[in-house]
Amino acid sequence: MSKPKLSVELTEPDRIFRGGDTVTGVVRVDVDKDIACNGLVIQIGWRTHGRGNVTSKIGDSVTAFQGQWQEGESLEYPFELKALDWPPTYHGHFLNVDHYVDARAKIAWSFDPKASAAFQMVPLQAPADSSAAKANSLPAKVFVALILMVAMVAVFAGFAGVVLGLGWIGLPFFLLPIGGIGFWFLKNWLPKYLLGNVECELSDSLIVPGGSLTGELVLKPRRSVGINGINVKLEGREQVVSGSGSNKTTHRHVFFEQEETLREAGKLMPGTELRLPIAMEVPSNAPLSLNLAANELIWTVVVRIDIPRWPDWVKTMVFQVVPSGESVTSDAANLAMPKAGTESSSGITFEESVNHLWQVRADRDQRDMLVDAIAGLTFSVTAIIERRLLYGGDHDANVYPQGHSVWARFPNPELPLVLFVPHDMGEEFEQLGRQQWTGQATVVGWDDDHGRLQLAVES
Amino acid sequence: MIDMDLDSVCDAGRLSDGPAWQPWSRLNLFRNPFGELSIAERAELAIVNENLLDQITLDLRTAIEFIGDCGRGKSTRLHWLGSRLPQATYVYLPEEGPVPAIPFGNPLIIDEAQRMNRSAKRSVFATGVPLILGTHQSLSRCLRRWGYQVQSVRIGQQNTASLIQQILNRRIEASRSGDGPIPIVSAQEAGWLFDEFGSDLRSVEGFMYEQFQRRIADLMDRD
Repeated sequence: MSKPKLSVELTEPDRIFRGGDTVTGVVRVDVDKDIACNGLVIQIGWRTHGRGNVTSKIGDSVTAFQGQWQEGESLEYPFELKALDWPPTYHGHFLNVDHYVDARAKIAWSFDPKASAAFQMVPLQAPADSSAAKANSLPAKVFVALILMVAMVAVFAGFAGVVLGLGWIGLPFFLLPIGGIGFWFLKNWLPKYLLGNVECELSDSLIVPGGSLTGELVLKPRRSVGINGINVKLEGREQVVSGSGSNKTTHRHVFFEQEETLREAGKLMPGTELRLPIAMEVPSNAPLSLNLAANELIWTVVVRIDIPRWPDWVKTMVFQVVPSGESVTSDAANLAMPKAGTESSSGITFEESVNHLWQVRADRDQRDMLVDAIAGLTFSVTAIIERRLLYGGDHDANVYPQGHSVWARFPNPELPLVLFVPHDMGEEFEQLGRQQWTGQATVVGWDDDHGRLQLAVES
Repeated sequence: MIDMDLDSVCDAGRLSDGPAWQPWSRLNLFRNPFGELSIAERAELAIVNENLLDQITLDLRTAIEFIGDCGRGKSTRLHWLGSRLPQATYVYLPEEGPVPAIPFGNPLIIDEAQRMNRSAKRSVFATGVPLILGTHQSLSRCLRRWGYQVQSVRIGQQNTASLIQQILNRRIEASRSGDGPIPIVSAQEAGWLFDEFGSDLRSVEGFMYEQFQRRIADLMDRD
C-alpha cells in the first residue's frame, strides 16, 4: 500500500537549543495517492537510543491537519514547538539521548508514515531531582543491605536446626548465609580493625563540568598499618538496562577514568590522625549526569586504602555533574502535598486529586504522600472503562468478596485507575464495555505493580 | 566472540555528510540500528510470515503456544500479533516478584506464560478466553485439562541465514537518516553470523551493535 512521504525540516538544524526555546520548521508531505489522514500530529520530545530500554518524553504536540490528501500534492505544514529543558543531547557507547521533532500521519489500516528531525539541546539548568540526597544514595543502599542480611541470618538461624536434621544435603543451605556473613566481615570489619573509623566525604555533590571536586579523608589508625597507597579514582560510566525479567541485562561502559594517589606506599602510625584533602578536576567536557529510567550516566569517586595481604578499605561516592547555573524546582516538586490533604476537608474534587497525582506520578514519595492524604475519601468519579481483570494479581487488594476488578482511566489527564466493583454490580460493568462510567468511589490506595489509583466502587 | 569484520558495514566509509554533532549521520543513519527498540517499533519491524495470522482463531477455548529458548523471537512474534489484533491484550510475566494482574483480551497474549502460578492459571483458563502464549515449556497438558484446543509451535528453527540477513537489513533500513546509501549485510556475512550464533537472534544483534559502534568510532576518529 502506498503512503504519503513525510519529512521534517528545521529552520535552524545546526542551532544549539536551550530548554523552552522555540523550534520552528515545516513538515513536508508528498502524496502519491488519494488518502484520508486522520491527523497529522507534530510533536517535540526526546528519547534514548542504544543498548538500554527506550525511555522517552513527549512535550508539546499539535495536530496540523486532518482530512483528505490528493494524489500529486506536495504540502507544507509549519510548526513552532517549545524544546523540553532536560535531558541534554548525548551520544555515547551504550547510551544516546536525542531531542526530536516528530511528525506522524495517522492512516487507517496501515502503519502510520512518520518522519523525525533531531536537534541539539544543551540545558542551562539541572532538573529538580539532581539533589545531593539522591547523589549520595549509597549509604542508604548499604543500610538496606544490612537489614536484609540481618533478616536472612534470622531466617536461616531458625531453619538451621531443621536443615541440619537433613544431614549433608542441608549443609549448603546453612553454609550460604554463613558465607555471606563471612564476606561482609572480610570486606567491612577487617579494614576497620586496623584503620579504626575512617571518614570520607565530598564537600559538594553537585559539580559543574570543569569544576573542582573536593573532599577529605580522615583516619586515625588503631595500630601500625603498612599500606600500598591511598588512591582516589574519578570515574564516569554509562549504565543501561535492556530487556526485563529473565532477559534483563545491565550494560556498563566506563568512558572516563582518572586516578590520583593521595598517599604513597608507607606506614600509618597508630593514634595519629591523618587528614588527606581530595581535589580532582572534573573535565570541562564532562557529560552531565543522567538518570533516565533504564538509562543512566553516573559519576563516582572511589577512595581506596590498599592494605597488603588484607581486605582494602573502599568507599564509593556518587556525585552529579550538572549544568552551570542554578537548579530549578519543577512544579511537580513544588507541589505542596499536605495542601491537598487540607483541601480535601474543604471539598477537594476527584479531578483536582487526579491532576495532582498526574504531576507527581513518577515521584514515588510525593505520590504516596498524596495517595495517603486522599485515601478513605469518597468522590464522584468519572472513568473510561478499559478492561476487566481475569486475574487480580498476587497483590490483589480483594476489596469485595467475589468482587470484580476493572481497569479504567480518568478522561483527562489519562491517569490509570483500577476499580474494585462489588459482586452485584458485575453485570452493570460488563454491559458498559469501554464506555464512560460515573459513580461514587472511595480511594483505597495505589497499585505499584501497574501504576494505578485504586478505587472501591460504592454499591 | 568471533573476530570478524563485516566488510560491507565496516569498509563502507563515510556515506553521508550530515552535521558533525550527529555521529550516526556519517553512515546515513540516525542511531545504531541494533540498539533496543520500543515495543511498537519491534512489532513494526518484525519479519513474520503473514500466514501466522491465519493460524490464530478467536474462538473460546483455543490456544496457540510459541515454545523456544531465549532470543529466538517469541516475544517479537507476540508483539507482532498484538499489533495486528486490535482487541488483544499483551501481558508480560516477570521472573521475579508476584504475578501481575491479567486483564481480559480477545485474544489474551501472555509472554513467559510458564511463570503463571496455579491460581493465575485457574482464573484465566477457567474463562476459556482465546490465548496466545510465549513459553519455554509447553502448557498444552494443563490447557487441555481446561478444555482448550492447543496448537504448539516451536520457535527458532525458522531462523536461517537468509532470515537473519533480512532481519538485520530491515533494522538498518529503519535507522536510515536520509536518501542515499546505507550499510547492508551481505548473504555471506549473514552466513557467518548464523554459523557463529545459530538461531540466537539476540546474540546476533548484540554482536552487530558492537560492530557498528566500532565503525562509527573509527569514522569519528578520522574526522
